[in-house]
Amino acid sequence: MIRTYLREATPSFAWRNRLGNWRTEIFAGLVGAILVIPQGITFAYLAGLQPEYGLYCAIFVTLFCSVFGSSSMMSGPNTAVAILIGTAVLPLAGRGSPVYIDFVFLLCLMVGAIQLLFWLMRGARIFQYLSPAAISGISAGAGFLIIMASLDSILDLSTFKTTFFYEKIYVIVSDARDLVNPYSLFIGLCTIAGGYIGRRFSPRFFIIIAVTTGYLSGLLVAFVWPQPVTELEYLGRMPIEWLPLHLPNINMEYLMMSTLLIPYAITIAFIGLAQSLVIVRELKMETEQDINLDKEVYAQGLANLLAPFFSSFAGAGSFNRTKANQSLGATTPFSGIASAGFVLVLITFLGPILTYMPMAAMAGTLFIVGADMIKWRDIKHYAQVRAELVIYLATFISIMFFGLATGVVVAVFLSVSVFMLRISQLELSVEPIESGILLKVKGALFYASLAHLTEKFHSHVGKNLTVDLQFTTHIDQSAVDFFIRESRNMAAQGVRLTLLINEKQGYFLKKMGANSDIELVAV
Amino acid sequence: MLALDLIRPLCLVTLLILVPSIGLAQQGQPSIQQLLQEPFLDDYYSNVVYGYEIVTDTQNHASRYVGNSLNCSNCHLQAGTQQEALPLNVAGMYPKWRAKNGKRNGIGLRIRECFLYSLDGIMPPEDAPEVLAISAYISYLSQGQIMGAEPEGRGVPTLPDTGYDPNPATGRAVYLEQCASCHGAQGEGVAGMPPVWGLNSYNKGAGMHDIREAAGFIWANMPLGNGKSLTHQQALDVSAYLNLQIRPSDPRDSKFLKLLEHLIN
Ligand code: HEC
Ligand code: HEC
Repeated sequence: MIRTYLREATPSFAWRNRLGNWRTEIFAGLVGAILVIPQGITFAYLAGLQPEYGLYCAIFVTLFCSVFGSSSMMSGPNTAVAILIGTAVLPLAGRGSPVYIDFVFLLCLMVGAIQLLFWLMRGARIFQYLSPAAISGISAGAGFLIIMASLDSILDLSTFKTTFFYEKIYVIVSDARDLVNPYSLFIGLCTIAGGYIGRRFSPRFFIIIAVTTGYLSGLLVAFVWPQPVTELEYLGRMPIEWLPLHLPNINMEYLMMSTLLIPYAITIAFIGLAQSLVIVRELKMETEQDINLDKEVYAQGLANLLAPFFSSFAGAGSFNRTKANQSLGATTPFSGIASAGFVLVLITFLGPILTYMPMAAMAGTLFIVGADMIKWRDIKHYAQVRAELVIYLATFISIMFFGLATGVVVAVFLSVSVFMLRISQLELSVEPIESGILLKVKGALFYASLAHLTEKFHSHVGKNLTVDLQFTTHIDQSAVDFFIRESRNMAAQGVRLTLLINEKQGYFLKKMGANSDIELVAV
Repeated sequence: MLALDLIRPLCLVTLLILVPSIGLAQQGQPSIQQLLQEPFLDDYYSNVVYGYEIVTDTQNHASRYVGNSLNCSNCHLQAGTQQEALPLNVAGMYPKWRAKNGKRNGIGLRIRECFLYSLDGIMPPEDAPEVLAISAYISYLSQGQIMGAEPEGRGVPTLPDTGYDPNPATGRAVYLEQCASCHGAQGEGVAGMPPVWGLNSYNKGAGMHDIREAAGFIWANMPLGNGKSLTHQQALDVSAYLNLQIRPSDPRDSKFLKLLEHLIN
């Protein structure tokens, strides 16, 4: 037991033997780095932090996750995690202020610790119960939130906040002349157009095309109108360090207030792992990588736990970068390690150019990312089964109105409910036999499925009953209690209850003391 | 959404419990030195301290928006607490009504303008954490001032008319004699001293680029530690000399130059 834990806890580097073509891996890492830079910057914005924290996330979370993990999954800044960090910490302190940053790091420590706890409890399996419809619903909802957040920057609405999205749309529409910054809007639209046209030519690098278009249109605007007129928001100089060590600030006062963060920490830990595991599971099915899910949980948790020590916030697996990685032929964690290195190098050299990157261009790419997360295909796909559609839509709508954290809770609740409903269906067949009636039961007999059985019992009052339990998958205590109660009732009416059981069930029923009231027949 | 609804009141309650425990409740405001020693500060005071750090060390704490090598406190002496040296206890003077655009211009805009001109950088967005922190610091400094009343020693003294035009040639002599030891013969500044011209100094849109404003500042405060030793005419001359030197262009008129300058830097 401890051996397994230890083996999972140390970086294995077993992939070294599979490292056939290291050039492919390095190239994939480079592409990953180019893709992650705009993401890191914009997701830091979503989390309410300065852009460099997002880049540190793209470097260190990716690095640790690849070093300790076993797959070619690319971890790093993640939309849902970033949005949740923002919603969690904003009520406690002003955006980006020192206390805010302290709380973000505290929150990330908690997230990492909770994820490690998941690993210790072998929690990877839990995530299988989250239905795919729920995950798509969460992703679509996050996409919607991202679009709304990107509007803030595209229209330059920095100082105005609303609770619900429709208020915002109403205010924007009714007060457009005063509120909207036309220069910013122009750059944003150029970026979005660049992205969608660019996608025709290069489905993989269109984000880069979008960013470049945005940057150039920003230069154009800056060339004609000075900044005091346009009031454009720029990225600014980023004080990037190669080793941004940082000791998270923890004291009694923070800990007292941090209890408010716990529900969010759990949600973030959960949603982060859920996404990473979906990616890893897909990789496991589609490639020949030797992937250990528990090890991935560990790697993600440890990366998030270590992140605050490197001035970075928590992250999770990234769908689009893992896909790009895969399509370039990378099969080992080495591409992730290379990507982390390339981000560092690229940022050091690109930094001065990025200074004049308009935030509207960054927000434009954010808009594209968000729009991509709401997939018409998904809706059509889930529309085929009603329960799935309900989960998908309920999740999406509750995120739209009440935020991501609530949406995740709804999604989990609905997935589990549907799951429970499904497994509490019993397959019952009734046959008349000479001694009375034979009832064959298939499925799991537990508190939730008993109602179904009770009905059948009560429609055959006054007859001898033989219940065939050989094909039930599980019997719990409440089911045994139920049989004992019924058999006593029946005995009072002068009829008998017989259970046909297999060996294992016999053992359990005897332990529960059922043999004194019920006639048990082993088959 | 229960969680979010609960957070706000809980937060307030926690703050109410915490604030007295720092011992701020009765004795007016703690000094910056006291604040720096506290292990924990609430949102307001941590912003005040952050604002103080930005003003005294803009290069490290707000480097995102800075384009030269000055700090706010190079002009706003003693971290904005010295009279006649552009003190920052001016929160009560804002927002100002400006007929031109029919808007009220808050202290935020003034701060952002100093970033753009005096620090030759980028105008931060209105809600940038740096701007909010400096605003917090300014309202901290302005504690006890009367709303709308000009605080004593605001800005720099206005020099009386001397009857002569400022003469850069005499200014040059004054500069070499009195100022070059600290600010360098080329105005580049020696270790620890700020440059007064060149691409690392304030740009042509800055308040300091105004001859009378700079002369007032120089007369009252320079040479550092020996203020008011120059005559009014000397201050005007040296200020005119500084004005003639090369420095970053005004971001309002030469956009292309501006970009080039930034790419070179
Ligand atoms: C090169 C010198 C210089 C630097 C550096 C500088 N300022 Fe100023 N600042 C001035 C001058 C000159 C004025 C007054 C003239 C004016 O209003 O244009 C001023 C005015 C102000 C005012 C308004 C004061 C009043 O009396 O209303 C504020 C607020 C301010 N600056 C903030 C800052 C901040 C914050 C920084 C650092 C980010 C900074 N300044 C850096 C020169 C400077
Ligand atoms: C003892 C050294 C010293 C001498 C001599 C001196 N200064 Fe300064 N000066 C400083 C320092 C130091 C600062 C920055 C103040 C601070 O950070 O506290 C400064 C700031 C300035 C500034 C505003 C900041 C900037 O870089 O634009 C101007 C303008 C200036 N000095 C002009 C002059 C002029 C003109 C003279 C000559 C009359 C002069 N100084 C003499 C040390 C000196």
